[in-house]
Formats: sequence, C-alpha cells, structure tokens
Amino acid sequence: MITIQNLDSGYGKLRVLKGISMHVDAGEIVTIIGANGAGKTTLLNTIAGLVRPVNGKIIFNQQDLSLFKAHQIVALGCSLVPEGRQVFATMSVEENLVLGGHVCSKKHGRSTAAGELERQYALFPVLKERRGQLAGTLSGGEQQMLAMARALMARPTLIMMDEPSTGLAPLIVMEIFRIVQKMRDEGNTVLLVEQNARAALGIADRGYVLETGKIVLQGPAAELIEDGEVKRAYLGRDYETITDR
Amino acid sequence: MENAKIEYLSPEAWRQWHTELLQSTVNRVYKRVPFYRKAMDAAGVHPEDIRSLEDMRKLPFITREDLSTNYPYDLFAVPLRDIVRIHTLRSAQKNPVALGYTKQDLEHRRNLTARFLQVCGVSPDDVVQICLDPGLAMLGQELKEGAETLGALVISPDPLNSSARLRVLVDFKTTAVITSPSYGRHLLWALQESGKSLASISLKKGIFVAETLDHGFRKELKKNFALDACSGYGIFEAMGPGMAYECPELSGLHLAMDHFIPEIVDPASGNVLPHGETGELVITTVTTRSNPLIRFRTGDLTRLDARPCPCGRTTWRMAPVEGPCNDLVSVRGIRIAPEQIDTFIEAQTEDDPPDHLLVIKNHNYLEKIELWIAINHDLFTGSLPQLHNWCRELENSFEETIGLSCQVRPVELRTIKPYLDEGRTIVTMNSQPDRMQPV
Repeated sequence: MITIQNLDSGYGKLRVLKGISMHVDAGEIVTIIGANGAGKTTLLNTIAGLVRPVNGKIIFNQQDLSLFKAHQIVALGCSLVPEGRQVFATMSVEENLVLGGHVCSKKHGRSTAAGELERQYALFPVLKERRGQLAGTLSGGEQQMLAMARALMARPTLIMMDEPSTGLAPLIVMEIFRIVQKMRDEGNTVLLVEQNARAALGIADRGYVLETGKIVLQGPAAELIEDGEVKRAYLGRDYETITDR
Repeated sequence: MENAKIEYLSPEAWRQWHTELLQSTVNRVYKRVPFYRKAMDAAGVHPEDIRSLEDMRKLPFITREDLSTNYPYDLFAVPLRDIVRIHTLRSAQKNPVALGYTKQDLEHRRNLTARFLQVCGVSPDDVVQICLDPGLAMLGQELKEGAETLGALVISPDPLNSSARLRVLVDFKTTAVITSPSYGRHLLWALQESGKSLASISLKKGIFVAETLDHGFRKELKKNFALDACSGYGIFEAMGPGMAYECPELSGLHLAMDHFIPEIVDPASGNVLPHGETGELVITTVTTRSNPLIRFRTGDLTRLDARPCPCGRTTWRMAPVEGPCNDLVSVRGIRIAPEQIDTFIEAQTEDDPPDHLLVIKNHNYLEKIELWIAINHDLFTGSLPQLHNWCRELENSFEETIGLSCQVRPVELRTIKPYLDEGRTIVTMNSQPDRMQPV
C-alpha cells in the first residue's frame, strides 16, 4: 500500500524527520506513537504533500508521492484528517461533506459521490441528524466525526488521521476509535498518529515509535503495548526513568 | 505462533522489512548501549548513515570476546527491570558471557524454536524425547519449550545414560528424538547392541542440532532405521536453536530472516562475500530488545543461497556449517577453544602450567575426551595416591568449567611432544567400530 524509505523532512533549515523507513499494508491500522515534537504530524503532512520531503521516497501504490501536489495526492487515494479537525465552521455538515467528495464526484460522477454521502451517513448517523447544522456549532466529537467522514468522501484507499482524540472526552474517544476499527473492517487502510498510545495500540495491528525524528522501535501493537519502555514512556508510567539511562 | 506469511515475503518486502528494522535497531543501540556508540563513533558511522542494507557494511563487528569483555550489564539495551531472565555462558575469556531477555525476547525465541520443530514435522501428536549432553542443557531447555508450545508431549533432557534413555524411548513410544548427530549415532549403536527390534520402537524422525548433520548419516538413518532426519542451526548468543531449519525439500537451512539479517564475510578481511561463496556467517538481530547484536561474528563457515526454495519459502538458505573458521573444536556439540584449555590448566596449577594435550576419542560413536598432562617434578612428588587425587580433582573442575566429562591422564612429556611440536594442542584419535548395520 504505502512504503516510505529514508524520508528526511522538515521546515526550512530544521530537519524534523531523519531517515524514516516504514510501511503500511492494505487493510491494516498502523499507528505512530511518540512524544510531542517527535515528528508525527510532520510525517503525515509530508505524506499528504503539505510539506515537501528533503530526501527519500514515499511509494504509494507504485507512485512516488513526493512528485505530486497535495490535491493530486488526495486524488490518488490518500486522505488526511488533520489535527484539530479543521472543519469549515460556517458551512453546514452536508456542505462540508460535499466539499470532501469533490474529488470523488470529479473522478466517478455525481451519483457515486451521492452514494458516498449516504455511506458516510450510515457510518456516522449523528451527522445525518445534523446535516443542515453549521459545522462550527457541533461538539468536539461530532466535529471529529465530520472531519473523518469528509476525508472518507474522497474514497481514499489510505486514510491518515492526526491525533483524532485531542480534546475529546474519554467516552467520545472510545466511540471515535470504534469507528476507526469499523473503517478498517470495511476494507480501509488507516495510518493513525496518536498521543493516546494506549487507545491507539489497542486498535492497531502494528505500531512504530518515533523519537526525535527517528523510528526507534516497531512491531505488532500487541507486543508494543506490553513493552516496558513503551509502557513507561508513552502509556503513562514514570517517563523519567527511561530517559535517564 | 508467529505470522505464517512471513516466510513467504517477496524480495522487495524483505528488503523493506530489514531496512526498517535495521534502522530502528541501530537508532536504539546507538542511544542505549555505550559499547555500540563508541564502536560506531570509532568507525566514523552514525545511525543516519544507514540508509540501505548495503550500508550495513559500514557498521563494526561484535565478537564473542566483546560479549565477555562487556560482562555483566554493558550490552543491555533495556533497563534491568525489563529483563526477566539472564543466561550466563562459558567463554574462552576471563569473564563469562551474560545474556538478558525481556518477556518479548523469550517469546520470540520460543516461537522461533516451535516454528523450527513444526517445519521439521513435529505436531501435537508427537512424543518428543530430547537427548543432549548436560553441557547443552540450555539448548535442551529451549527445545523443550518450543516443543511444548506446539503441544507435543515432551520428554525433557534428563541426565540419563544411553540404556536408560533407550528404555524411556521404548516405554513412552517416542516418535521424534532431538539430539546431536554424534549422540544420535551413539544412541542408535546402543539400540543395536540392546538387540531391540526396529518394530519395538515408534521412532519416526530424528531432529539434529548443535552439530552439522552429514549427508552420509542422513542416508544411513533412512536406509537402516527408516528414520527421517532434519536439522537445525542456532547460536545461543543470538536467537537460539530455531535460527535456521530444514524444510521437507532438504535443500539447505532456511534462515529465520524475520528476526535477523545474515551476511557472509571473509573471516580474515571481514569483507562481505557474495551469495554462494563460503565464509563466516555474521548475524544482526533486528527484533531482540535486551541484547541486540550488530554484525555478530558466529565463527561458523557456511554459504548463503537467496534463490526461492521449491517449498515456496523465500527466506535465504544456508548450507550446513562446514566447520569453524577459527581453531575451535566441537565435541558432542560443545565448542572448545584451545585457549580455554590453557586458561583452565593455568587456573588449576600454582606454578608453571604443565604441557598438555586434549585428546578426542571416539568410543562406540560417542566422543570422549582425555586430557593428557605431562608429568613434571612439581606434579609428581613421589606419592601415587596424591597424583591420583589431583587427577580426579582436575576432572571434576574440567566438567564444571567446560561442561564435558573428561579423563585426566598423566603422561610423559615425550608422549605428547610430537603433537606439541606441530603446534597442536587438541587432537582427534579415531577408533570407530564398523559401520552400523540395520537392526
């Protein structure tokens, strides 16, 4: 599905990612966990074409994404749900979704896009209830669902999610992660960046641990969740003891 | 059990798998293990320089001496609190070797050993008997855990003599025996001697570890005993007994490349050799958490074959080990270095260490060792009982230190001088009986 080789990326002179190699196979949920500033968001933004890579390859279905612009990457089937939702607050829920389906309707016709809209309403019934409501008036959890549904409207083969749990109540987080699992079960491939490592590893198939722009550990999620270092550094147990070694 | 698809990855997928794991392992050890950081800094290589598998050549080697020098904790890549088991190994150096394992490390080794046995045909229906020398106790322990993971009935490696082991083999209807080729030969000889008929035993397969299984012996087992034989390769310092194993095609040993990256290097220059050429096997573990090994020199001579196997597996295959690339000798699967014997003798004698020769003899297919010591005036003070006692004490210490029983024989210097003059401190004196006949 997507294979990343020796990716270097950053902003101006600041190099954030230093030689990242990773892959996501079709039908997997792969999570990237790491502390603040480790480079998780930069990685997603680089794949999405919002940040240009300095070096390395991002091969997505046999095509090197570093040669494409952000909107072309969406058309290739790779969508990003950005951190902080970033829904269009002054537009209605449905308008947000139709906007997300722009690529789909261009590629497959309006009727397919309309069918896609119904699929999203089936996956997120609350959005159907609030279809006419302004997006800015939705709760945090509903906005997150809208952002996810908007990304799915482009019929992506890979969906990347940046910190979907930020600022949400635990119950809502559980609901969001349940939907992510459902998305995987319906055949989607998910690359999930998350600070809530426990929740992310709980639903993921595999995980990578990012530390100051480098991958220091990877493996099946079930193994990572049991790993002593991961537990201490990312699952809320005495972080200091691991960094002082 | 491990992911079943892993042994069938495409070459590109293997490349990606190894590159990712190599990079993260190097990132981790550079940060966590001062030994690797110093060695990499001295070699002028930084983790960020490792951008492909070819870049691996820039990384320095680690040897058994390094493992011993960094005893006890200095090679651990995780805090001690994450380590749930420690094994200590004998070493030719002053210090032993200490290896730590996290829970996950143990699980990987157990699953890998189980995979090896499964590929060799062991199933939950089997009664598996492990017959290994006490010196290979840790190997036996791992094989036991692997067979138990498969759900087989396992007869542990007990310190029984061969006739008692044969009795257990008959009484419990053992279907698979795990042993070393040399002990296997002896066991079959003992079976013949006991006069038991082949029909009275349920044995179907022999799984051979710790030494190379030669083609002739395999043929002999099939022809004379109707036994299927397959073998495995492993080194304790890396991933244990399941590191390479034969599939039913018997076309080499499949390397468990999901856990390590193999290379073949010229033993003298350390340069990487192309596939098909014989050289020293070098291993880089990529899933080990506690004691990752970066370019570990195994000391074993072999060659690699990257072509896919008719069985469908795409993991590279290694040829049976041709021998050690140094002056190590293997006795019943236990490796002995000449300097190990020298260090032992020096530790046992107060003044001048006497001249000595280690003699390996073959008795009823079982290798036995004798330590011939040149008697001098310091050792023989005129009292025979005293000399006798000293020899027995030496035998006990030898078994404790080296892990093999040994007979100490006081000899005159002129008996061993011809060998010593040739620079040999270990010699093999063969006295094989005739070839084994069918039972």
